Amino acid sequence: MSWQQSPHIRTFKLFALVVGVCLASFYLISSVLIPVIISFTLYALFQPAVTYLARHDINHSLSILIVLVLLTIVSTVMIAFALPALVEQVSLLQSRLPQIAEQLEQLLTVYGDKLSARVGADIDASEIILSILSKSSSLGQAALFEVSNRLVNFVIIFILVPFLTYYLLKDFKRARNEMMNWLPNSSFELGWLIYHKVSTQLQAYTHGVMLQSLIMATFCSIGFTLIGLDIPLLMGAITGLFNLVPYVGPIISILLSLLVGAAMTPFDANILYLSVLVIVGAQIFDNLVVIPAVVANAVNLHPVQAILGIIIFGSLFGTVGIILAVPAIAAGKIVFKNIYTDIANANLKATP
Amino acid sequence: MCYSFAIAVTDNSMANVFWSNLFRNGDSELQVVTQLWRDTPLFADIPERHTEALCATMHLRDFKAGEVIFSQGDQGAGAILVLSGEVRVSADKAELAQLRDGDFFGEIALAASERRTADATATSASRLVYFLKQDLEEWIEHEPRLGARFLMNLSATLAQRLYAANQLIAKQL
Repeated sequence: MSWQQSPHIRTFKLFALVVGVCLASFYLISSVLIPVIISFTLYALFQPAVTYLARHDINHSLSILIVLVLLTIVSTVMIAFALPALVEQVSLLQSRLPQIAEQLEQLLTVYGDKLSARVGADIDASEIILSILSKSSSLGQAALFEVSNRLVNFVIIFILVPFLTYYLLKDFKRARNEMMNWLPNSSFELGWLIYHKVSTQLQAYTHGVMLQSLIMATFCSIGFTLIGLDIPLLMGAITGLFNLVPYVGPIISILLSLLVGAAMTPFDANILYLSVLVIVGAQIFDNLVVIPAVVANAVNLHPVQAILGIIIFGSLFGTVGIILAVPAIAAGKIVFKNIYTDIANANLKATP
Repeated sequence: MCYSFAIAVTDNSMANVFWSNLFRNGDSELQVVTQLWRDTPLFADIPERHTEALCATMHLRDFKAGEVIFSQGDQGAGAILVLSGEVRVSADKAELAQLRDGDFFGEIALAASERRTADATATSASRLVYFLKQDLEEWIEHEPRLGARFLMNLSATLAQRLYAANQLIAKQL
C-alpha cells in the first residue's frame, strides 16, 4: 500500500476538505456570525420545548411562537434590568479610579519598601500607579465608547435573532434533509451517522453548559450577596456567562469582581479576598459536582486539547473562537474518527 | 437522483412551490411508500396518518444496476425499503436473499449501532427508501406512545429473524 493510499492520509485529505468547507461557510456568513451562533444555540435549547408543545396537539408554528414570545419577554426584561446597571457600574468604576489608585499607592508604598529592603532594588510606587491609572482611565473611556458604539449592532442582533430562531425551529430539519441529499450514495449513510453523532453531542453540550452557567450564576450571586459585593446579581450573572469559556472565563470573572470590589467605598481589602474565594469555591463546586452531573460525557476532550484549542481558536477567530473552540474540536474529533473508520474498513475489504 | 419526501410532499412552503413541478408525483409515491411500510410487521397497529407522517421524513435514493448499497462492516444509519428494482444481499460471496418491491433490510441499524453484517448490491436500477435512526428518534419524541409500539414491533421482527437464523444453523449442524 503506497503512502498516498494510507487510511490516515486519505482521512486527513477528506477531513481537510470538510474543515475547508466549514471555514468557507463561516467566512461567507461572517457579518452575521454572532446572531447565527446565538440563534443555533437558542434552537438547540428550545427545540425540546417546541416538541413538547407540539406533542400536546398544539400547532407546530403556534408552538414556536409561544416559545419565542416567552423568550423575547424574558430577555427584554433582563436586558432592560442589566444594561443600565452595567453602564452605571463602568462609569462608577471610572470615577473611583483615582481613589483606587491612591489606596493601591499606599499599599505598594508599604509593601514596596519592605520588598526593596529585601531585594535591594528601588520600587517607585507612584510611577507604577500613574502608569496603571493612565491605562485604566483610557480603558474605561474606551469601554464606555464601545458600549454606546455597539448599541446599534446590539439592536440589529436583538431583531435578527428571534427571526432566525423562528425559521430554524420551523424549517431547519427540512433544509438539513435537502443538504444531506447532496451527498453521493456511497457517503449518504456515513454523512447521516456523523450528523447524528455531532448534533447529539452539540445539543447535549449546549444544554449542559447553559445549565452549568445558570447554576454558577446562582451560586456566585448568593455568594456575592453574602459577602456584600456591589451589584451581586449582575456580577453573578456575568460570572455565569464567562463560565461558558472554559479555563479563561473564571480568570476574567475574578478580575472583574476584583475591579468591582476595589471600586467600593469604603475600600475593604477583605471584599477582594472574599470575591476570589466565592469564585474559586464556585469553580470547585463546578468541577466536583456540576460538571460530572451535567456536562460529563457531553464532550470527551482532554484538558490539554481543550486549552490548546482555546488558545489557537482564540488567536484565529477572537472571542467567538474562544467560545466555539471546545464544541468545534469535539465535533472535529467525531468527524475525523468516523471518516477514518469508514476509510480503514474500505481498505481492509479491498486488501486481498 | 435523490430527494426526501420532506421536500417533495409537505405543505405550501416556497420550497414546495419551487420544486413542485419536479416532484409532482411525490404525493402518490408517498402513498405507495406508506402502504409498503404498512404491509411490513414494523408498522403493525400504527394508524395510517401517523405512518404517512413518518414516511414523509424518509429519504429516496436511486441506485444503478451493480452499485453497492452497503458493505459488510460499514456503519449503518437505518433500515432500507425497496420501492422498485432488485437488491442482492450476500455475506462472504454467498447470496442470502434477493429482495424486491416492498422488502426491507438493514433494520438492525434502527435498534443498535452495530456494523452491517452483510453486503447489499442493487442488481437492477433500484429506487430505495432510507428510514434513518435519526428520523425514528425524532418521530418518537413527537409520538412516544406510537414510538413504543413501533419499538415493540421492531423487537418482534428482530427476534423472528434471530429465531429463523438459529433454525438455519441447527439444520446445518
